[in-house]
Amino acid sequence: MASGCSTAWCAITTRREASGDLTVLNSAEKARRGLPELQLKLSLVGITDLGPSVPLVLPVKEGAVPDALAPAARVAGFTGRPDETLLLPGDPASSHPHRELLLLGLDGQSLAEAAGARAAAALACCHEIAIDGRGLPRAVAVALALGAAGRSWRFPNYRQGPPDIDGSAMQIERISLVVDDPAHIGQRWREAVGVVEAMVFARNLIAEPANLLTPQAFIHQLGLLEAAGVAVEVIPAEALGGEGLHLLAAVGRGSVNPPALVLLHWPGRLALPPVVFVGKGMTFDTGGISIKGADRMWDMRGDMAGAAVCAGAMLALARRNSPAPVAAVLPLAENMIGGDAYRPGDVIRSHHGLTVEIVDTDAEGRLILADALSFAIARFRPRAVIDLATLTYSVAVALGREMAGLYANDTVLAAHLAAAGLAAGEPVWRLPFTDGQRDQLASDIADIKQCLNGPLLPDASLSAAFLSRFVGETPWAHIDIGGTDLRDEADERHAAGPTGFGVRLLDRLIALRYEDADHP
Amino acid sequence: MLDIAFSKPVPPKAGAVALLLAEEEALTGAAAALNEASGGAIARAIEVAAFKGQKGKTVLLFAPIEGLTRVLVVGLGKRAELTTLTVEEAGGAIAAALSQEVQATILAEGLAPSEAAHLGLGAVLRAYRFDLYRTKEKPEDKPKLTGITVQAEDHAKARAAFVPLKAVAEGIYLARDLVTEPPNVLTPTEMAERCRALTKLGVKVEIMGPKELEKLGFGALLGVSQGSVQEPRMVVMQWNGAGGRKPRKPLVFVGQGVTFDTRGISIKPASGMEDMKWDMAGAGAVVGLMAALAGRKAKADVVGLVGLVENMPSGTAQRPGDVVTSYSGQTIEVLNTDAEGRLVLADVLWYAQEKFDPAFMVNLATLTGAIIVALGQEHGGMFSNDEDLAQKLTSAGIATGEKLWRMPLGEAYDKAIKSDIADMKNIGGRHGSAIIAAQFIQRFVNSKPWAHLDIAGMAWSSKDTACVPKGATAYGVRLLDRLVRDHYEA
Repeated sequence: MASGCSTAWCAITTRREASGDLTVLNSAEKARRGLPELQLKLSLVGITDLGPSVPLVLPVKEGAVPDALAPAARVAGFTGRPDETLLLPGDPASSHPHRELLLLGLDGQSLAEAAGARAAAALACCHEIAIDGRGLPRAVAVALALGAAGRSWRFPNYRQGPPDIDGSAMQIERISLVVDDPAHIGQRWREAVGVVEAMVFARNLIAEPANLLTPQAFIHQLGLLEAAGVAVEVIPAEALGGEGLHLLAAVGRGSVNPPALVLLHWPGRLALPPVVFVGKGMTFDTGGISIKGADRMWDMRGDMAGAAVCAGAMLALARRNSPAPVAAVLPLAENMIGGDAYRPGDVIRSHHGLTVEIVDTDAEGRLILADALSFAIARFRPRAVIDLATLTYSVAVALGREMAGLYANDTVLAAHLAAAGLAAGEPVWRLPFTDGQRDQLASDIADIKQCLNGPLLPDASLSAAFLSRFVGETPWAHIDIGGTDLRDEADERHAAGPTGFGVRLLDRLIALRYEDADHP
Repeated sequence: MLDIAFSKPVPPKAGAVALLLAEEEALTGAAAALNEASGGAIARAIEVAAFKGQKGKTVLLFAPIEGLTRVLVVGLGKRAELTTLTVEEAGGAIAAALSQEVQATILAEGLAPSEAAHLGLGAVLRAYRFDLYRTKEKPEDKPKLTGITVQAEDHAKARAAFVPLKAVAEGIYLARDLVTEPPNVLTPTEMAERCRALTKLGVKVEIMGPKELEKLGFGALLGVSQGSVQEPRMVVMQWNGAGGRKPRKPLVFVGQGVTFDTRGISIKPASGMEDMKWDMAGAGAVVGLMAALAGRKAKADVVGLVGLVENMPSGTAQRPGDVVTSYSGQTIEVLNTDAEGRLVLADVLWYAQEKFDPAFMVNLATLTGAIIVALGQEHGGMFSNDEDLAQKLTSAGIATGEKLWRMPLGEAYDKAIKSDIADMKNIGGRHGSAIIAAQFIQRFVNSKPWAHLDIAGMAWSSKDTACVPKGATAYGVRLLDRLVRDHYEA
């Protein structure tokens, strides 16, 4: 490995053994037993450090194909347009004439991540790729590597054999960015490495099957954050009632895998109250007594994406040693059917004190968020609280897979989130919730109804209206990632599976708004 | 229509009386005098009811004074937060609460003349009723209120301010009538005839039938209509109120007018299908808007266009999989015959911009269920390629209470309507489907400033609100009238 390289990797380290006991394995142990583990390493290298067989991605501006490659490019019709790639056996004029070259059309910084992703897609079957960032602005070079890393993620391989069924499966494990001066690491690279690690960490958690990733197993995974300097505190199932977290306890009651509330705390250096993230962590959601249809129920192993994203964002903040104090509150539970499961019609007192009438046990996310939000506010007195959740299907109907729904009681916070989303490539679009919708949630028997029943309901807005009752005057935003959490198919730019949408958004929000001691 | 009169303040002698009370304020002036005449009964009732002048709250007394039948006290909320909307809502509350009276007087000395006029507007809008097909209603169930007198200090000014508002109310009534009419009565032909009536207001009306539309090449619109025995129509309504020597680029409004939407071959389930008579609410709003603008002699050049069709399944109906050539020349693969509104708009929008070189185009359509899932029923969805127009529309929405919420457009959504066989397909999956529909329509907008208003959640109200009785709302008439008034009548 070259001097000055900086490596990020992340592993899935949980398996339920044949005995049924939950075992946490470290990376070396997993390797010894031949269990799956996804690693993605990023390195900063000089060109002389590069192995002779590692393919090199050569970014080319339109009309600027290097002379030695021009004849081949001309025949292939490659001109360097942003949507073009061309794989060549080598550059006869270079010192490594047999190193494969991928010519990559590149047009400005805004599209550099997309270009990096295209490069990774084109070289999917290689274990290692290198990107030539020499002569490019550092920001562009780093963006290329970031884009390639995002596209290189894939599901952990639980097959007995190799994943490469038809030779096209993603294999990339190492991405090297070639620069003139690899000893100069720089803040931008450090941040990118942290972000990739955090993103991989979050996606791995989201992808992990729910028989392996129970609430307890999720908590074990947080050891990585603890090692990174994030304090981890767990309120176990038996203590939830004592803390008044009755909604969370009720949602988790139907499962043999008990619920828990996790508190993560990154102290930062600024003497200010923290910003708090709240992430929905349903490790599996059957819908409970109001059971879901069988179709696509398997996707519900990812219903803890909000919690995974918040944990990932905490990791990114810790890795770049953010000065801002930030905490995260993660309600973890499994929504199962059982003789002791909570029912439609039940009335439950929330941590906030408001009593809630249950209408549909499949609208459980807003319940555990409600408890987590009011707990977070009581515990941390935060400057702002932002929750993320795979909360509704309705937000996917509203905004599709491209943008997450943003709801807020604070215009300034909403504007900062919108800006951070654009900067991070994770756009959010503000949608309304109204007093009228809060009124619609009036219950005959309790302070508030959990949701409404019927066709064509604006369920995402209604759930925001519901949550708004639990946050009081604290600046609050709710991000519904019910549409952006998963991609059914890979394309040039995106890997199939969990997106980890929100990790970069939250990291950018903190960087843009909460790290300046002079403007608290 | 409820008759609204304005007079100077005089102690009312007969009928019902309404008083307005802002929060933290005492009865003063005529209201105080009335209280005195009642022997303090009004003040006592206010106290017993714990009424503090809150917005939307009322207190009703029966016959507290010799000669008067009822006294209604209406809360205005905080004086500092008073808007024309609040006043209109008070007017609406009065019309609703006193509907069994014949004549009512509102004591409105505290209000500015324009506010007094909006009080009248609110009452008129709430008192709307569509009675054409009720033949056996008991007399005691019928509303009896025929007139309201608003007492205002500067009653002459208030009366003058009410004149244009009344014209807008006429437009709203027209739009509500059109949307409420049953689909066997309001066919495309009949609706076109009702548009023709606008000539009386000075609107130039041109009606095109299937022959003209075929000749023009309106393949998208005609495909929707071909399953019905009812002929399609396109109506072009021009109001040239600017009076300039040089003709200005007109403001163009386009409405979707599917007089009944069975969904065609991709037929709708029976439940709730009766609602599909209001799938012409976009067109209804455009017709109402033209009536409002002409009625108040707006100083602007405006063109309203409506595409009128009926979407029926039959042996001649369009099939899923058909490819049609639109007036723009672009081909469309029709994958779902229920995504028909956008096909109608496609041809009419293209025609509008070719023919009129508009300053901007705004189209209204009850286009998607997805917009209701996205926004509920308190905001219409707005999609626009122009910041300035979007901003002006948003402001007009806030001012009139016909609120809009901006929704995104973007390349990623446009990809969803890529077709394997034609230039585009007419649907693209359920995710983001209101946005995808907007992308479809945008393909028929040739870089003109444009906004698409998806009003599927706003056209019909399932319950009474302050100024809109249950039923057709005429959403869009006030909004767009206000847009024209605030920005385009210089």
